[in-house]
Amino acid sequence: MSLALAKLVGYLSRKLLHKSGETIPGKVLLTIYPRALTVLAKGRKIVLVSGTNGKTSTTKALAQVVSQLGTTVSNKTGSNLDRASATTLMSPSEYAVLEVDELYLPKLVAETQPRVVLLLNLSRDQLHRMHEVKKVAARWKAAVDAAPETTFVGDIDDPFVAYALSAAVNSVRVSFGGSRHGDGAVCPACGKYLKWVGSNYSCSCGLTNKNLDQERRAGSAAFRNAELANIAGGILGAPPITFEPSILERVIERKVTGVDCSIRLVKNPASWSEALKSIKGESVVLILNARQVDGLDTSWLWDVSFEALRGKNVAVCGERAIDMAYRLHVAGIESRLENDLPGALTHFNGVESVEVLAAYTAFFKLVSS
Amino acid sequence: MSAIRIVRIHNELLGTYGDQGNAEVLAFRAKFHGISTTIIDVSYEDQLPRNGNIFLLGGAEDAAQLLSLEALKREKTLESAIADGAVLLAVCAGFQIIGNSFWADGQKVGGLSLLDVESSPGKNRCVGEVKAKSMILNLELSGFENHSGVTTLNSGAKAFAKVSSGHGNGDGRFDGAVAGNVFGTYMHGPILARNPQLADLLLTRATGRAFSQISDPLATKYAGIARKY
Repeated sequence: MSLALAKLVGYLSRKLLHKSGETIPGKVLLTIYPRALTVLAKGRKIVLVSGTNGKTSTTKALAQVVSQLGTTVSNKTGSNLDRASATTLMSPSEYAVLEVDELYLPKLVAETQPRVVLLLNLSRDQLHRMHEVKKVAARWKAAVDAAPETTFVGDIDDPFVAYALSAAVNSVRVSFGGSRHGDGAVCPACGKYLKWVGSNYSCSCGLTNKNLDQERRAGSAAFRNAELANIAGGILGAPPITFEPSILERVIERKVTGVDCSIRLVKNPASWSEALKSIKGESVVLILNARQVDGLDTSWLWDVSFEALRGKNVAVCGERAIDMAYRLHVAGIESRLENDLPGALTHFNGVESVEVLAAYTAFFKLVSS
Repeated sequence: MSAIRIVRIHNELLGTYGDQGNAEVLAFRAKFHGISTTIIDVSYEDQLPRNGNIFLLGGAEDAAQLLSLEALKREKTLESAIADGAVLLAVCAGFQIIGNSFWADGQKVGGLSLLDVESSPGKNRCVGEVKAKSMILNLELSGFENHSGVTTLNSGAKAFAKVSSGHGNGDGRFDGAVAGNVFGTYMHGPILARNPQLADLLLTRATGRAFSQISDPLATKYAGIARKY
């Protein structure tokens, strides 16, 4: 009865409000029946994916791996709170691969009894909401410790993930040969100064990325996430697959005012740094917003090195374009300030393709247009 | 005069909220004033230079804050430099470190006592935009706060700014504290990026020179817009 009502509300929200319908039905269901997640998950094989960056693309990749085994449902849009999980689980299937917000992961682990949980990474993001990375990691650890039946797969080159897994009963600790972490100066396990030698860390308390179960070669974030998706799928018995590159990058191609735009999602220091490394062309547009999901504050821009943009033709737009323009100005990189993407593109006379780095809300506005 | 030495203290520990930008803005503004600068990064394992002109401390999580304090307590360099007239800007966790005491990881610890203030844990986390009028500059400053401390001022410290919106030191009345050339605040942004006049004030304090107004239209525009966030 609750399920039918929730589905009806979802249908109406899609039809009348033109919403994606991924959140509303689950929200209604959880309001009238708070135990819905547990009931919907019963008898199904649940896989969860969480982390600061790469959740949506890795969830897509992992759903593709798992779907080789049987009917699989998964998030469609990147909505990742408990209500989105509830909506997804309302469709019947043998398997469910769910993208889960970092703060909601403990609730989802406790209520859905997942077979496998994939922990990607933790770094600073939306600090107005997450507050402190260490506290998010501590909540993950408590969730892991309370779920002895679940197998946790994690990238332990990230010390926060290694800490979360440090007392797991079943875990697969994956290292890609080390990767220097921007927020990794303090050991999350014991609070001592964390010793880094190159890209590897080792603390006197025992936390290290050298205590591993599987080692893979180094690669981009997209490569690492693809490997992790295959390892997680393998635990359920799925053979590894080679992914289309498009599935693992939050990049979309759009023609805007006649210019080919390659638009990439960026949202925090770690993802900006990764995205700036990928810039190949000379013409770049940066779009900065500061709504809830973008992070309400832009202080973190000063923790990102924009050196990759030096000498390039840069335009900035978005609701907080001026924050970006001033940050670049102080770094000695001058940019053109514009209201929106079409305006920014007018500065690239005769250029056929432009790389666009877009904040979360700006990215989704462009995707849906 | 020789180059102004801007000392960014423990950036790997206190660099989690963009406050490292304060050093860049100081160097940038100094260039307009015709002053050369050097930014000296001092890590947890290094010793502080005795001859720094402007010292900077930033925001951090509890464990990092405790490590930074421990390193600063290993030597008395910061206290001596301040006694000799060096300038210090300390933000958020850094502001708490330079007070008499604060709380981190559930315990009360003694600070460096460079500002006569005490910080204790508040009931609610203070997160959001802050607007506060600096008494020294007679100017409304803007910043972003994200902390759960409540800081009270004793007789040896004056408030840094009078809050018009936001929480500041926790009670919504004042933000930060100041004594001589030592400035403490909860405002990120970074505060000097959003409020270039404050950067100029710190440079004036460090050099003993008054500067004429400089023209950087983008800085002025940004400061004006940020005041409306």
